[in-house]
Amino acid sequence: MHMIWVMLALLAVFIVRVVKGPSIWDRLLGLSVISTKVILIIVFFASYNQIAYLLDIAIVFVLLGFISIIFTALFLLQRIKAGGK
Amino acid sequence: MQVVGDIFVIIGTVFILFGVIGLMKFKNFYTRILVTAKIDTVGVITVIIGIAIKHGLSFFSMKVLLLMGIVMIVNPLASHMIARSAYLSGYQTEGQDDKAKTTYNEEHV
Repeated sequence: MHMIWVMLALLAVFIVRVVKGPSIWDRLLGLSVISTKVILIIVFFASYNQIAYLLDIAIVFVLLGFISIIFTALFLLQRIKAGGK
Repeated sequence: MQVVGDIFVIIGTVFILFGVIGLMKFKNFYTRILVTAKIDTVGVITVIIGIAIKHGLSFFSMKVLLLMGIVMIVNPLASHMIARSAYLSGYQTEGQDDKAKTTYNEEHV
């Protein structure tokens, strides 16, 4: 149970980095790290309460996080390339 | 078995703590993303192996190992995409630190 509190503390550290991050890329990196931490929290919770179907949620969350980061990065690439001219 | 699993979980958490330190210490974006993404994935894998060991051979640990396989594939891909688009858009390509004026006009972002 205490592991979830450890993970939440780590989340707070990464949120500081996302807010402080000089550029938007640091924020994207922070997003990717935070989503990994949330997955770990789900897995800890599922293993602590012996609930198996929670892991499906974690798997879906991994894939969704991945897709959102990929398309956000692609979108930013076009926007900055066009805006940078 | 429980103790072995707990040891793995603690080792994974220590890895993640290294990632946090790395995230705060490095000044250049690319070194930061290299460290964070790699340690992040390794931390998740270690923790998930620990949890799989804690649950022995059961339906639960099979599903956890599947999750580990997915994370192993997905996480590096996402980090690569972030670094690639950051590089292509010319952010800190000359290796200057965060304080230096970035090469592209940051006001738009």
